[in-house]
Amino acid sequence: MSIPVIRKPAIRAGLILSRTPIIAPELTKLESQYYAYQSELEKRLMWTFPAYYYFKRGSLASHRFIKAQKWPVSKAPGVWYPRGVPDIRHGRERRLKQEVVLPKEKKDVTESTGSTGGSESVTDLTDASRPIVPNSRITEADKLNDLKSLERQLSRTLYLLVQDKSLGKWIFPSFDVVKDTTEEVKPLHEVAEDGLRSLVGPNINTWTVSGTPASVLKQENDVYEFLIKSHILAGNLELTKKGLEQIGEYAWLTRDEIKEHVETSYFENVEFLLAK
Amino acid sequence: MLSNSTIMNVFRPAIKGPASVSASSFLLTSVRTKRTTAKSSGTTGVSPQVQRVTTQLSVLSARKKQPKMLKLCPEDLIKHQTIENCWIQYQRDVRNRRSKTLEKQFKSIKTAMNTLQEVNPVLFKLASEATTTATEERRFPLEYRIPTDFPPNKDKVWCHNYTSPTTKNN
Repeated sequence: MSIPVIRKPAIRAGLILSRTPIIAPELTKLESQYYAYQSELEKRLMWTFPAYYYFKRGSLASHRFIKAQKWPVSKAPGVWYPRGVPDIRHGRERRLKQEVVLPKEKKDVTESTGSTGGSESVTDLTDASRPIVPNSRITEADKLNDLKSLERQLSRTLYLLVQDKSLGKWIFPSFDVVKDTTEEVKPLHEVAEDGLRSLVGPNINTWTVSGTPASVLKQENDVYEFLIKSHILAGNLELTKKGLEQIGEYAWLTRDEIKEHVETSYFENVEFLLAK
Repeated sequence: MLSNSTIMNVFRPAIKGPASVSASSFLLTSVRTKRTTAKSSGTTGVSPQVQRVTTQLSVLSARKKQPKMLKLCPEDLIKHQTIENCWIQYQRDVRNRRSKTLEKQFKSIKTAMNTLQEVNPVLFKLASEATTTATEERRFPLEYRIPTDFPPNKDKVWCHNYTSPTTKNN
């Protein structure tokens, strides 16, 4: 009954495979300025740090802490203060923000003065009191502009695009829905997932959000391409024999780069599906 | 005066005689023990327990710790209000952009499903079932990561050596 319905329009299952960001997005200029303003306001309105609670009176730690502080100008009789008369409580100028300086350990000083290479910090990983040095947000893949690497553009969402050999165009990978007997019809998302694995090897961990297609692209000669959304969680792509035959190349691209690679009409159809 | 020290007479010669009287034979040793009386100056003379409670309470209280009230001049106040209004407007723009995109995506899903129903009812039924029925594959993956401010160490940025437990295609 439904066989003639299947035969008429060809159906393809497309796959939008994304790598979600690993690090937080870059702040815009407005955001960073606003956050800086708010943090300064908060510091100005903060209560005085109760050092007497954290450091026992007369202890070595207390002495070290006291020595590290920059104490405000104190009030003396008969002195004219151009920036207002000091109002000091618990060693804090009440009209200004309090800057609590943590006493530096001797180790930190030597490390900051001597420009040591990365090899020393690697050996020091067991030392719990080592200074915190954040890793660079720009990876080596970024420097090399390696489009095939999953470690590029860590703050952006990357999408898998393939260069179709028969069309000679960059597209999202798409696969024919095989017309079997009615009982053995595979759902769209399985077609897409299995198709992807046939191209790039089985050693990838993906999570398909839903079996529902996110969009449909109507192509010429009555071909409907249904796009399924999926995320890659682990693993590397290794083109199989079939993959080498069908697709010339693949690339992990951000939304802006996709715009440069694909055709304008194609991009307009999928633009709203991609994260900024 | 010498409340925390005692003079111990270590050796007291029993017999007075010219042979036994010398510098080394008579020793006075001072030993320091815990202070039992309060210092004459500086403290209020309360017990350590009371002092501890006082310190803990003063950490919580605002007295002496609050900064001076922030009084802005009219110009600064206008600047502050402008900044806040700008931020509210910016947030609104972001929210509107996001909701517009979501609306577009929702409409797109609807049209896709309607088209699928017209084109192939069997696939449509499968797609709806796959969304509504919960299976083990449908579970939210534990490997999904939350973005951090800075990337992890080099070997942890991406799991490269993943091997699938069930090879789907051979």
